[in-house]
Amino acid sequence: MNDEPLIRVMALHAIEYCERLFYLEEVEEIRVADTAIYDGRRFHEQLPEYVTLEQFVLQNEELGIRGKIDCLRTQQGMLVPYEYKKGHARILPNGDVLAWPSDQVQIAAYSLLLEKHLNRPIMEGRVFYAADHRTVSISIDEKMRNQVMSAIARAKELRASTERPPITANERLCARCSLAPVCLPEEERLVEQVGRDTVRLFPEDRDLLDIHVTSPGSKVRRAGNTLLIEDKDGQKRSFPIEEVGSITLHGNAQITTQTIHLCANKGINIHWVTGGGHYIGSVSNSAGGVQRRLRQYRALIDPELKLRLAKALVIAKVESQLRYILRLTRGSEVRKELESYINTIRDVLSSTNTANSLDELRGYEGSAAKDYFACFSRLTVDDAKNGMAFIHRNRRPPRDPANALLSFLYSLLYRDCVQAIVTVGLDPTIGFYHQPRSQAYPLALDLMELFRVTLCDMTVLGTIHRNQWKVEEDFIQAGDQVWLSDTGRKKAIAAYENRKQDKWKHPVIGYSLTYARALELEVRLLEKEWTGKPGLFAMNRIR
Amino acid sequence: MSSRKMYYLICYDIREPKRWRKCYKLLKGFGERVQYSVFKCYLTDRKLAELRWELTKILSNEDSLLIAPIQQADVNRIIYLNMNIDWQLEKERFRTV
Ligand code: SF4
Repeated sequence: MNDEPLIRVMALHAIEYCERLFYLEEVEEIRVADTAIYDGRRFHEQLPEYVTLEQFVLQNEELGIRGKIDCLRTQQGMLVPYEYKKGHARILPNGDVLAWPSDQVQIAAYSLLLEKHLNRPIMEGRVFYAADHRTVSISIDEKMRNQVMSAIARAKELRASTERPPITANERLCARCSLAPVCLPEEERLVEQVGRDTVRLFPEDRDLLDIHVTSPGSKVRRAGNTLLIEDKDGQKRSFPIEEVGSITLHGNAQITTQTIHLCANKGINIHWVTGGGHYIGSVSNSAGGVQRRLRQYRALIDPELKLRLAKALVIAKVESQLRYILRLTRGSEVRKELESYINTIRDVLSSTNTANSLDELRGYEGSAAKDYFACFSRLTVDDAKNGMAFIHRNRRPPRDPANALLSFLYSLLYRDCVQAIVTVGLDPTIGFYHQPRSQAYPLALDLMELFRVTLCDMTVLGTIHRNQWKVEEDFIQAGDQVWLSDTGRKKAIAAYENRKQDKWKHPVIGYSLTYARALELEVRLLEKEWTGKPGLFAMNRIR
Repeated sequence: MSSRKMYYLICYDIREPKRWRKCYKLLKGFGERVQYSVFKCYLTDRKLAELRWELTKILSNEDSLLIAPIQQADVNRIIYLNMNIDWQLEKERFRTV
């Protein structure tokens, strides 16, 4: 008994287009519907009335395929399957009108299915291209049949493999491919051909809303296709579900099971953070992805790869720290005072390259951090009058407002890192630099290192220097611990989320995008270290 | 690849209560109701395509549908009587409740 699932004819269409597309969609089960795909579906719902659309669902064990035929007609006593396409036919310079290769294979596969089903030969199939009102006839000859059979054989082969096939050589295909934002073919071409102009196929911005529920006693409910958030005074706000990207519940806000189901269904992430600002956990719907995880495990047990990635990571972080301090002290008297710290950070940076072990790297990272935060302390002496001086870095628990703020932003960043990793389909528990320790996900901690300076440190120092904090209002002192108050938390969320919307140009990839997107981009580039072209991860820097 | 959003005014006339309710429920997920069968939605091209596809599955031949893009340049020229609509462009990608 062969219990391999049948291959969809549409998947054969994909394999003819690009093997990697087939693999991503059919094997890794990554499906992204873009405008063209929705338009195509609508087109099939709305076919003109003269087309008697009875869809024929056929399957055949022997061939190993299944599919839906748009329409079947009799032409001169012969049955002819029809496929309707919204787009254009392939028109040659000499005026000949042809079907695209992948459409040919599709209609030929339907013909073979029909033959088996009706037990009579099918000699012709037709594809109608609505955009130019042309019907193209395809003869189901020996060559077409062989092509279908080899596409099926190739599909089976790819299904059994855990390796992603390489990107297509024909770059024009990528511009119209719905999976380009996942596949990132242009970025790989960049590795081969440094300096080429990358065509942006990765959206520069996320177009969804991140909702933070902070008011104590709030309740998030589902009302049809909307989220209804009610605070304890009964005030309600409603959000259409299609606009929402994530929900973060701070403190003791409640969410109903029905809402969690709806969010899982729509791919909306839900995160919980304590009132004190500690990340607790997330719910996201990330089934599948077995191949992605297997590849990740296989890659990240290799000590050499781990060391290389960790090095890139630490260099990126320390260099960002250095550049930030240099920027803050440019043309100022303070620079001299900080000279020795700055020099140590520089030295650490150059030694990092020669590190031979993760422990050695951790040592360098730690010593750079010490000097970096020493600079922070000097750079906030004037803010002591507002109670916002950064005496030294302390956490668990934070002992002054500046540290409380920084810790809270790190929690939000950690949440975003988890979300980015899960969105891409990697496993946050398997990292390469941080050691597994209680609760925290090592890979999320790894990724965080790339964004601590840009998203958190700069936001904290920037808002302190602009006098945006009122210690009595925004913070709560409890013994020797300090927390953000409700108003303080709202301000901190706004500062952080707005920072994420800032656009920034990736120095290697060459296009600009928001930090919110950059997080996901880095995870996708990380995955390329073992699936595709290595060398693009952790190249981001502050300017 | 643009993720730019734009406002649309979406109006429908549906003969049968069951389909009307389905359509209403669907649109509630995409935007805000401003009149009995009129919605205001702030959509990317992709979301618009998704919505149009979902609507096609619900509507039948006797129903009608109108989707009007609202250009920002025209927002101040819209005429209201006893009502008002906020067409402000969304500046932030987050909400704190
Ligand atoms: S983006 Fe290009 S290489 Fe990647 S799956 Fe699509 S067509 Fe293939």
